[in-house]
Amino acid sequence: MNRKYANEVVDVVIVGAGAAGGVLAKELSEHGMKVVVIEAGPLRDPQKDFASDELAMKNLGWQETRLVDGQNPLRMGHNNSGKGIGGGTTHFTGVFLRFHDVDFQAKTIDGVGEDWPISYDDLAPFYNKIEKEIAVSGPKYFPWGNYHGPYPYPEREPLSPNAYMFQNGCEKLGIESVVAPLAILSAPFEGRPPCINRGFCNQGCMPNAKFSTLIVHIPKAIQAGAEVLSDCMVTQILMKEDGRAKGVEFVYDGQTYKQEARIVILSAFVVENPRLLLHSATPTFPEGLANSSGWVGKGIMPHSSHDVYGKFDYEIRLYKGTPVLATTQAFYRTDPERDFARGYTLHAHGVRPVAFARGISLSSQKKPIWGEELRNILLDYNYYGRITLVGEVLPHANNHVTLSDEVDEYGIPRAKVTFSYGENDKKLIQHAVQKMKDIIEAAGGTPEFVIEDTAHLMGGCRMGNDPSTSVVNSFGQTHDIPNLFICDASIFVTSGAGNPTNTVMAIAARTADYIKDQASKMEI
Amino acid sequence: MNRQTHYPSYDVMNEKDEWDDHTQSIVTSRLIRKSDYQFLTLEETELLKRICSRLMDDDREEVISFVISHIDQTLSAGIGEGQRKVGIPKSQILIREGLRSLEETATKRYLFGFTQLNADQQKQLIREISEKKTAQGLEWEAIMPADFFKKLMDLTVESYCSHPLVWSEMGYGGPAYPRGYVRTQMGQLDPWEAQPENE
Repeated sequence: MNRKYANEVVDVVIVGAGAAGGVLAKELSEHGMKVVVIEAGPLRDPQKDFASDELAMKNLGWQETRLVDGQNPLRMGHNNSGKGIGGGTTHFTGVFLRFHDVDFQAKTIDGVGEDWPISYDDLAPFYNKIEKEIAVSGPKYFPWGNYHGPYPYPEREPLSPNAYMFQNGCEKLGIESVVAPLAILSAPFEGRPPCINRGFCNQGCMPNAKFSTLIVHIPKAIQAGAEVLSDCMVTQILMKEDGRAKGVEFVYDGQTYKQEARIVILSAFVVENPRLLLHSATPTFPEGLANSSGWVGKGIMPHSSHDVYGKFDYEIRLYKGTPVLATTQAFYRTDPERDFARGYTLHAHGVRPVAFARGISLSSQKKPIWGEELRNILLDYNYYGRITLVGEVLPHANNHVTLSDEVDEYGIPRAKVTFSYGENDKKLIQHAVQKMKDIIEAAGGTPEFVIEDTAHLMGGCRMGNDPSTSVVNSFGQTHDIPNLFICDASIFVTSGAGNPTNTVMAIAARTADYIKDQASKMEI
Repeated sequence: MNRQTHYPSYDVMNEKDEWDDHTQSIVTSRLIRKSDYQFLTLEETELLKRICSRLMDDDREEVISFVISHIDQTLSAGIGEGQRKVGIPKSQILIREGLRSLEETATKRYLFGFTQLNADQQKQLIREISEKKTAQGLEWEAIMPADFFKKLMDLTVESYCSHPLVWSEMGYGGPAYPRGYVRTQMGQLDPWEAQPENE
């Protein structure tokens, strides 16, 4: 293979070129550091390799089999992870929310979950930086949380019929809603055009109106000198005898290679980071690397993401426009009137035929919908509207990633992902489902189907000040191995109740600043 | 197939020249019938066609044949399953064993193979496996009927709903690049979208 830094000890090797890996690669290489990014999936050209098709673009997800377990086994793949340069940002909906101050202090404020070792104020400058860097579009005034706008770019206009349905229902109930802040352009920016309302955000944006690190951060990193390797699967973290990380081993086209580096950063997401750490165990670290706390793999959290479909006597057409264009966070914070802690975000959420039919057909564990009943529903596709929940899920040590007995093509044990909802999570879902039904009814529809689903994944290598109960510090530096970093959604302590990508990228920008600073002081 | 589409004269393929080349070639290829299966045997193919027709309440050969070739391709390509519940066999075994077991159940109960049963009998058998979470009868020793149903339904639905004939019936706008949508207010339609027809 054609290499730039093959036999060099580079400054930084980053495993995974997703939301976090992209930001880190750009920041660190623009700082003059020698950076190698190693990504398991391919480098795609949005113009040639993306398509306006659900089935063909399933491959944007991490399709490699994970074993799932627990009371509520997770749907993986395209549902929550990405494979290829850009990672999950190639197929996320582009919703770009900040966490609120209360999200960093769930334990102090509500007595549930854990506190983060950082506050909203620590991340605020990095949220600002990231939002500006990709020209996030959003409302003039955002009513919830700590940031009220204005966003770098004006809110999207026009919206979609489903978003208008949602706004109408909310208005009738006196629930405030806004146009969603989106990492999707509302006007030209850096040679990229505004959105054309094509609606295939989850299949890869072909016009490049939606941000991804594939089209924004990785090209800038390469411009600044970074070497980005695609189709290379990292199979091992290599250690030195002094207990520091030496680099990584990876496989390309059946051949094994090594990349040595002064700093190793794992940005391979909630499942692959723990899997790699556990699989890289050595005699010095018999329970896996960076795992003296025993917390590697533990405390994973999806968002509860139930969908409610309502039927209308007029056409909505869920395929039209950007999937999420309207949002409310009116139920985001703990309300003593409710029987659960924390809260949720609701989105108007478009959907295409495959996801529509799959969700409805297999939604009920008891009685699947098929045959004539399903076909009749398909014929009425255009008469359905949909609202989707993004609900906080509290962290629990029993929800975890472990190694299974089955191995993959590289001989590495497959990850086993175990997840069950807790009582608070279930009460929250119940409340949210009722609200979604209310909104649909207020908009003139009849709620017909409630689809159990999850979205996103966080945790599994959580940050904290106490090395006995956390894996990394607030900068993603592992407590056990000073030159081994973990940086992405896996270091989240709690899930918050909004889409996580903005927070992932803000954390990555903060980690990049820390690494630049420490490296200049020769402290790493 | 009792009910009719709201959009009898809409054909999403009329717009294919407006799509990018990659999407055009993907979608157009779904209209070409394939019969060289890599994983499925001839018997399995015939059995699956019958079952998938019942699952979607659709007997059209051109649509179901794409469903079957998608299932065959998925099972032979060795692409990961995304996720698999602990204790459930790999999809290749699950589908093969499921088909075998279903056929055995049919023969035991009706003395005929599944494909020879009448529609009501076929639907009755599918209904039973779709809701059955515990194995009953020796023929379902290796796998749980509902697990088989779920995997088969997943593969069937994702391909069925990717066929342009089905898109047209649903009134789905289909691929939309480079064109996008201009009229997106409630009730507004771009001229090339499925237009509501008097029913």
